[in-house]
Amino acid sequence: MILTGPEIERRRQLGELRLEPFVPDFVNPCSYNYRLGPVLRTLDVGVVDPRAELPLVEMEIPPHGLVLEPRRVYLGTTVEQIGGSDTVPCLIGRSSLGRLGVFVQFAADMGNTGACHRWTLEIEVVQPVRLYPGMVIGQVSFWTTVGEVSTYQGRFGRIDEATTPPPPHLLPPNCPFASPLSASSL
Amino acid sequence: MSILTGPEIAARRSRGDLTIEPFVPEHLSTNSYDLTLGPELLAYTGEVLDPYRDNPVETLVLPEEGLELSPDRVYLGASVERIGSDLLTPIVKARSGTARLGLYVHMTADLIDIGSFGQTTFQLHTVQRLRVYPGMVLAQVTWWLPVGAITLYEGKYQGSVGPQPSQSWRDTPAVVSA
Repeated sequence: MILTGPEIERRRQLGELRLEPFVPDFVNPCSYNYRLGPVLRTLDVGVVDPRAELPLVEMEIPPHGLVLEPRRVYLGTTVEQIGGSDTVPCLIGRSSLGRLGVFVQFAADMGNTGACHRWTLEIEVVQPVRLYPGMVIGQVSFWTTVGEVSTYQGRFGRIDEATTPPPPHLLPPNCPFASPLSASSL
Repeated sequence: MSILTGPEIAARRSRGDLTIEPFVPEHLSTNSYDLTLGPELLAYTGEVLDPYRDNPVETLVLPEEGLELSPDRVYLGASVERIGSDLLTPIVKARSGTARLGLYVHMTADLIDIGSFGQTTFQLHTVQRLRVYPGMVLAQVTWWLPVGAITLYEGKYQGSVGPQPSQSWRDTPAVVSA
């Protein structure tokens, strides 16, 4: 089930979920607003290859904003540290930004129980859009779980800076279709 | 799970726990209700969109023979149906038939606040050129049970009729604290 706004606030006070820094005005009927941190990173390659190094170019969003261009993925971070000890956080964008053609967390909206950090945001725009540092860019909802909760063992849920996976990225060591070694010799 | 089944959606609508108007029983699925596209779209006319300014829009009326959407623009449409609930959380999703054509019905904001009522605004974006028709079935609304005390939505999109452009320019610009 999804937590209501007052329930999010109550569980935060109990220490069961973390939203820091916390602004009471950012509580919605069933979510909490999060803000865009002042730094964006983007992949500086012609073709994104999950087997290769992925150089990230960093840019500071000036106070008067930065215009994002279509057909490029930008990684940002939330200002807030977000996490829940026994709930599942889901991040989405704000409807006011979606209405301007800004995709936020367009594919991977679900977080891990127990992971607490400044989230990496995946941002894409359909038309050129100006974004500002510190603007409210999305909302996080929290969902109750069923079953025993295991300890978070992942990597990304501890990182506070926008990042991509390290090489070989998404290829597991015993990938049955191609080993990273044989693939790189092609 | 705490998502309402189709029969439960119909039962709770009859009890007045949720609004779907007009309601067509044939649009009820196993765990959602289908939403149809209203006859008007909005598209922005400015070069660069700015969340802190009022962005001018043009209105596009959908002819019976359909209108071709272009991949490089955002189009705002609205559901014919007026939806909302003071007790449940609605979440809007594309129909798989729509998604298979490469049409997004929302960019990012699928969650509707408890207490928000109106024709929901679709954030239309197509990957390839695609034709849309007035009245076409393109999305579905699901209904989820909340936990905890309820406060109702009192935001700027309350009571929406037709597509609503972004009103984020009404918000006070926030500043990042160190």
